[in-house]
Amino acid sequence: MRRKSLVTVWVGVLAMSVLFLGCPKKKPAPAPEMEVVELQPPREEIVVPTPPVVVEVAPDPFSEDIETANIAAYEQGLLGDVYFDFDRYELKPEARERLAKNADFMRAHPEFEILMEGHCDERGTAEYNLALGDRRANAAKNYLVSLGIPAGASQTVSFGEERPQCTEATEACWWRNRRAHFVIRGRQGG
Amino acid sequence: MTRASKTTVLFALTFLAFWLVPGIGRSQQSIPADEQLSDPEVNVVLEGRQRSRFRMAMPALGRDGALGPQVRSAAEVLEETLRADLDQSGVFDVQGPTQLSALTLTGVEARDFELYRSLRNELLLRATVKQEQGRLILEGRVFDLGSGKVVLGKRYRGDPSIARRIAHTFADEIIVYFSGRQGLALTSIAFVSDRSGFKEIFLMGSDGADQRPITAHKSISMSPEWNPNGREIAYISYYSGTPNIYLVDLSSGRKTPVITTGSLNISPSFSPDGKRMAFARSIGDGNSEIFICNRDGSGLQQLTHSSGIDANPAWSPSGREIAFTSSRTGSPQIYIMDAEGTNLRRVAFEGNYNDGAAWSPDGTRLVYASRRTGDFDIAVADVVTLESKLLTHGGGSNETPSFSPDGRRILYSTKRRGASGSNTQIFVMDATGGNRKQLTTEGNNTSPVWSGFKE
Repeated sequence: MRRKSLVTVWVGVLAMSVLFLGCPKKKPAPAPEMEVVELQPPREEIVVPTPPVVVEVAPDPFSEDIETANIAAYEQGLLGDVYFDFDRYELKPEARERLAKNADFMRAHPEFEILMEGHCDERGTAEYNLALGDRRANAAKNYLVSLGIPAGASQTVSFGEERPQCTEATEACWWRNRRAHFVIRGRQGG
Repeated sequence: MTRASKTTVLFALTFLAFWLVPGIGRSQQSIPADEQLSDPEVNVVLEGRQRSRFRMAMPALGRDGALGPQVRSAAEVLEETLRADLDQSGVFDVQGPTQLSALTLTGVEARDFELYRSLRNELLLRATVKQEQGRLILEGRVFDLGSGKVVLGKRYRGDPSIARRIAHTFADEIIVYFSGRQGLALTSIAFVSDRSGFKEIFLMGSDGADQRPITAHKSISMSPEWNPNGREIAYISYYSGTPNIYLVDLSSGRKTPVITTGSLNISPSFSPDGKRMAFARSIGDGNSEIFICNRDGSGLQQLTHSSGIDANPAWSPSGREIAFTSSRTGSPQIYIMDAEGTNLRRVAFEGNYNDGAAWSPDGTRLVYASRRTGDFDIAVADVVTLESKLLTHGGGSNETPSFSPDGRRILYSTKRRGASGSNTQIFVMDATGGNRKQLTTEGNNTSPVWSGFKE
């Protein structure tokens, strides 16, 4: 009983829909002529403006001031200290390895004037250490010359035990003071 | 004696006033040594010299009349300086007011002398200070307690500001009278101090008083060395970037470069006539050799030719030899060569690291730093017999020794290490090793060198 009345409703709705939809088609207007223009694909891409992308390009530390160059050379391991045994100035194998890297840097940067400082630990006498430090600085320099670095590219100075890296009275400190230290002093001719 | 000693004093004071204490000296008048107060009739028995020391009673300085505040404090400085000079001289064993306090003095001379003798005193030094027109007057008399007579009497007059110099002058008079040799009280010591934050050259009196800088390079300055004429000091400075040799004139303070070419010029040492200098200089590949040159840097001449390090020359008092350090056999050792560079011989055979040789004034001994185990000790070697012995035994690293002009005292520095670093101070001791006294406290102080006698 109930199903019969639902069907009746649906039939009614359908009939009305047909009547209603059929109304606009009573007077069909002639279809307007349609112009079709084929658009050529654009030759140039249209640049859509977007926020500019900033690429972080690090400034070359070796074209900056000398202090920056010194810090960068040591931080990047391009230059490094050479260490010696107590009261000795002979180069150990690891010292030669280190000097070869230093030589690479000096070759890459022939514009730099390099100062090689000879240092000693505090256990020798101050006077003798001045002479010993000069030997250490020159041992480093002579090896670099043997690697093809021009002798004129560097100078030497001995500080003996006057400018220690550290001052504790332990071998852990002393060995760090027995060294040839490299300093970029300036630019050639500058 | 009277005339000679008067001349000596006058000369010494004039010299000091004009040359040694720039700024102070030139603004003060020299002190006239007044007349001898009494002629010594009694000579002290000379066998006293054979004994170690004269025992001398030195009661508190008398104050005669009213003293202004300046003279009053000058009197204290004078008393303290005089007592220290006599005590440090090695000639006297001084009994001061503390040791004499047990005595109940009567004011009667004969009775009081008896009391001083009861404490085994042989001599009595009685001195009085008074003021006259703002100036200080010191009257001092030395009594021989055996005879009760005055053997030495002096009166000095001067500005209160030079109380210390008056005391030194009187002390040296007493010392030369009783020992027959010149005292050190008027001599000076040059040394290196970093108390300003930089190593500079300093001067002080032989008792450690009146420490003052004579360089202000704000760099590294070290290795002072007296010209035997007493008027200038050679030293090295990094003032121009590398260590070079300079001279400082003590009267004007003017600095003159001597050797400034090459990468390393260090350790100057004057010839006894003051006309030439020996030093260490780096040649070619950092190999340091001993050179000599004229005082103005001209006439450069190389004396050593070894592949080892040659450093730290010391010209002998005779002028004929030069001691130096060389590593030609491996470790640093001390050698002597003739001043022409020939006749090389090794001196020190004990120790694995010997450096810093300095000659005794008579040229018979070398004092140097010797490392036998961990740290350095001061050693002395006879240059003929080559026998050596240690004068210090640890307590830090003992280095940079040098003799006093009378050869009886040795200056040196002691480096004591702590957890966070080291501290170095200057000491003086007898040439036999005892009677040690610290002279510095401020900053680190090293490389002490004694001037010659002031004459």
